[in-house]
Amino acid sequence: MKQKSYPFLIFLLCLFSQAFSQQKFTISGTIRDAATGETLIGATVKIQNATQSFGTSCNAYGFYSLTGNSGDYDLIVSYTGYQSFSKKITLNAALKLNIDLGTNKADLNEVVITSRNRKNENVRSPQMGLDKLDMKSLDNLPVLFGEKDVLKTIQLLPGVKSGGEGNTGFFVRGGASDQNLILLDEAVVYNSSHLLGFFSTFNGDAIKDVSLYKGGMPAQYGGRLSSVLDVKMQDGNNKEFAAEGGIGLIASRIKVEGPIVKDKGSFMISARRTYIDLLLKASSDSSLNSNTLNFYDINAKLNYKFDDKNTLFVSGYFGQDNIGIKDLFANDWGNTTATIRLNHVFNDKLFSNTSVIYNKYHYAVELLDADNNARVTSMIRDYNVKEDLQYYSNKHIIRFGAQAIHHRIAPSDITTNGNSSFNPLAVENRYGLELAGYVSDEWTLTDKFNILYGVRLSGFSLLGPGTFNTYDSDGAVASAATAGKGKFFKTYIYPEPRFSASYSLTDETSLKASYNRNTQNIHILTNANTGSPTDQYVMSSNNIKPELADQVALGYFRNSKDNSFQFSGEVYYKWLQNQIDYKDGAELIANANVESELLYGTGRAYGMELYAKKTKGRLTGWISYTLSKTERKIEGINEGNYYNAKQDRTHDLALVGIYNFNPRWTFSANYIYSTGNAVTYPAGKYNVGGLTTYYYTERNANRMPYTSRLDLSATLKGKETKKYQSSWSFGVYNALNRKNPYSIAFRDKKNDPTQTEAVQTSLFGIIPSVTYNFKF
Amino acid sequence: MQHYNFLLKYITYSCLSLGILISSASCEKVIDVKLNTSASKLVIEGMITDQLGVQTITVTESVPYTNSNVYPPVTGAQVVVTDDDNHTWTFTETKPGIYTYPSLKAETGHKYTMKVVAKNTTYTASSTMPSLVKLDTLSIKIITFGGDDIKTVEAHFRDPADQVNQYRWIMKVNGVQIKTVYADNDRLTNGNEVTETLFYDDDLNEKLKTGDVAEVEMQCIDKDVFTYWFTLSQQTDNGPGGGVTPGNPPSNISNNALGYFSVNTTNKKTLTVD
Repeated sequence: MKQKSYPFLIFLLCLFSQAFSQQKFTISGTIRDAATGETLIGATVKIQNATQSFGTSCNAYGFYSLTGNSGDYDLIVSYTGYQSFSKKITLNAALKLNIDLGTNKADLNEVVITSRNRKNENVRSPQMGLDKLDMKSLDNLPVLFGEKDVLKTIQLLPGVKSGGEGNTGFFVRGGASDQNLILLDEAVVYNSSHLLGFFSTFNGDAIKDVSLYKGGMPAQYGGRLSSVLDVKMQDGNNKEFAAEGGIGLIASRIKVEGPIVKDKGSFMISARRTYIDLLLKASSDSSLNSNTLNFYDINAKLNYKFDDKNTLFVSGYFGQDNIGIKDLFANDWGNTTATIRLNHVFNDKLFSNTSVIYNKYHYAVELLDADNNARVTSMIRDYNVKEDLQYYSNKHIIRFGAQAIHHRIAPSDITTNGNSSFNPLAVENRYGLELAGYVSDEWTLTDKFNILYGVRLSGFSLLGPGTFNTYDSDGAVASAATAGKGKFFKTYIYPEPRFSASYSLTDETSLKASYNRNTQNIHILTNANTGSPTDQYVMSSNNIKPELADQVALGYFRNSKDNSFQFSGEVYYKWLQNQIDYKDGAELIANANVESELLYGTGRAYGMELYAKKTKGRLTGWISYTLSKTERKIEGINEGNYYNAKQDRTHDLALVGIYNFNPRWTFSANYIYSTGNAVTYPAGKYNVGGLTTYYYTERNANRMPYTSRLDLSATLKGKETKKYQSSWSFGVYNALNRKNPYSIAFRDKKNDPTQTEAVQTSLFGIIPSVTYNFKF
Repeated sequence: MQHYNFLLKYITYSCLSLGILISSASCEKVIDVKLNTSASKLVIEGMITDQLGVQTITVTESVPYTNSNVYPPVTGAQVVVTDDDNHTWTFTETKPGIYTYPSLKAETGHKYTMKVVAKNTTYTASSTMPSLVKLDTLSIKIITFGGDDIKTVEAHFRDPADQVNQYRWIMKVNGVQIKTVYADNDRLTNGNEVTETLFYDDDLNEKLKTGDVAEVEMQCIDKDVFTYWFTLSQQTDNGPGGGVTPGNPPSNISNNALGYFSVNTTNKKTLTVD
């Protein structure tokens, strides 16, 4: 695939360079924070004079490249929260200019809640369905147990639905929770939850940038149907050593960063651990202090700039959860990722990044009682090689590249000791190869009209060695084929067109449209409604076809009052194919024939998202509202008719407000309201086997009660000295102590077994929290 | 309803662990729910065992969810059981909706077919008698958790290595049936001395305590009947905190009747909790 895409690209490049015969020169370089040396993703670079202006924003590595007609210009570099930089330049030859921006003291007391792009970038850019999260805003938002969390904050954005109270699982525009591509420094994080979903794997201290693509997926991303959550770690301070951390109710964290060689290289290491079980250990109750319940994780990153053209980044993540009950049960799970990247600037217009990536998710469950002992392990591991290139010309940014991922899934291995009820078992490993190549062009056609178009060619091959069965309608093995090691057993190739366009009605308003197709070849099988540590991963195969999604979206974008207010409205419609569900009584764990337990069908999702932000001033925040419908149609379920997907919710509303009372106190609040989840309630009842048994008619045709919650927080900054900064964060989760539905069960009344009742379980009432943060 | 198999044992334990985190905050309340009501459906529950004696097939109707748990009998049905050896047993209605045959036992390896004609519709179902696997002993397992001793009954049996087996258990404590469906197969335990832990939810049932008499019936069931019970056993609460979406278990009876027809072994043991 790599070979195929290059000739086409060279052709494209020639085409574009011939189109502009005027005398043009390029200015390029990197924009950094003057105090820490962190590259500033998305900083604005603009050159202008009386007659013309050209602008761009920095890429993910702080690199920019601008091409303009020869002449004198004012160069202006800006980034919210930083002093803008300006300089007179004469563009009569290629210019190389690295710029360090100083933070703006006056702005520091303001909370920035939106991405720090150039003015009206959100309006002008053809990209839609993109939300960026500013990491600084996370410090002030109220969250459960006071642990700031990227994944819980994105659930406050339009089009993103929570997987359940306190849960980091999320659904984007009607997609399933396994249809999100979650990347940490380009490595796939398969299970983004800690403690069964109450915390996410992303430690806010170590994160620099979070982008969520809900639609209009750029061609450089692929592999999942519904969204891309692209999380980038901080590089580390290359000027001086610094440390920060926090001490919370149930977890603490620490980050250390500093230069390896001043101005050339730096490191960052960040770690956190929960200590609920340490508190339990202090308990005198022997049954409590013998339990395990903890997680820890470590983010680490190194970078080194060899010269202006070459920079190396090495980053990694390791996280592990442990829960267990002494002599009974133990469960651990975790992700490991490692990314090595080399940035190379070929010339002032061509930027390249080469990545070599490793990631793995594993879990182990152990039953410890002698009669029933067993240890079940499972893992999915990827080796991933990627080349991404960006070519900047006057009116075009051309992105092209190729990627190869080798997957290995070890579905289940059971080992036992002595006289266990269980037998040892090893379910055959599965191997797969994903190959992809892409090219896209972001083209400024006119001042008003921008398009971003491209195509990604995705190939997936199921590799040997292995025995691959087909199944009859009863789920029995109908035929078996074997393939040797490295043999391509089954291959799927799909072109994925991507297109989006923006048309500016005025400087501050625009209309946008997009279409994209995505395919997915890694699927999660789970009986739980959202992710669980024991989710089973399967690849596309002779039985499982690649999942396909086509999405169209239209949007209206408007800024006002110098970008203080930003409004967007988007509507979308999504068609899903080859969606997976399960037969009655499906056994998913430790089942070599798990593919015989599956049912397939289609889905559709459509909705409207409204989003209004106030980004400047003492009061900032946003309102997001989503009106949506998500349905599935699976042969063998609900008599083959469309039914509400479990994540279908009609209304989702989130209000977020952050008020900067004075330089020391910041108050914030968020309020959420959402329609109840689609559930299946009984229509009747009968008796079999001596038990009340419920009769169901339509799947997911009922609604749980609505959810609403108000969270509050206050942050008090301590006296600031040059060496030491500190703050206290006080939070109240579910301040109104509303009993939100977590699950609903139907059962006979205990006192009067002739009657049945519906019982709602609620998880969290009002929960106060306090965290002390420090930095020196 | 919760049942024990490998995964659910895991879920039970992990919920116990998480319980520490959330127990102070989580709570239950009875709520009013809006439900659709359906027309009543015919329910047939037929079981022929390997013990010579009275065999019973009941025919009732379902009721709307809001009614009390009293199910109208369907009277005047014709109920006939045949086997693959050309035997025919005609059941007679001894009480309203209850059709019995006074003395009959099913033989291992034979296939039995039930035919019920009720309300002008004919319903048929077949089931095959599996080989007997005996329940050997019962014991009590004590799990100490959160300051409580949770006592649980364990059933012990030897699974035969040369066949595929499916089981169902019914437990009564002091004569009151525990409201949990227990079903498991030998997919992960073939040929072993198996210990089946019969967990149950003490929200619905009384906690097991010293002096209680537990009676466990073990049945060997065929594959279709297993799928029926296993599907029922997997169904837990609704909503994001729940698990498998509930639905009607796949019945082996034709014409959309609810219920099942099971030809199974039966084997009981009792134990006094000490």
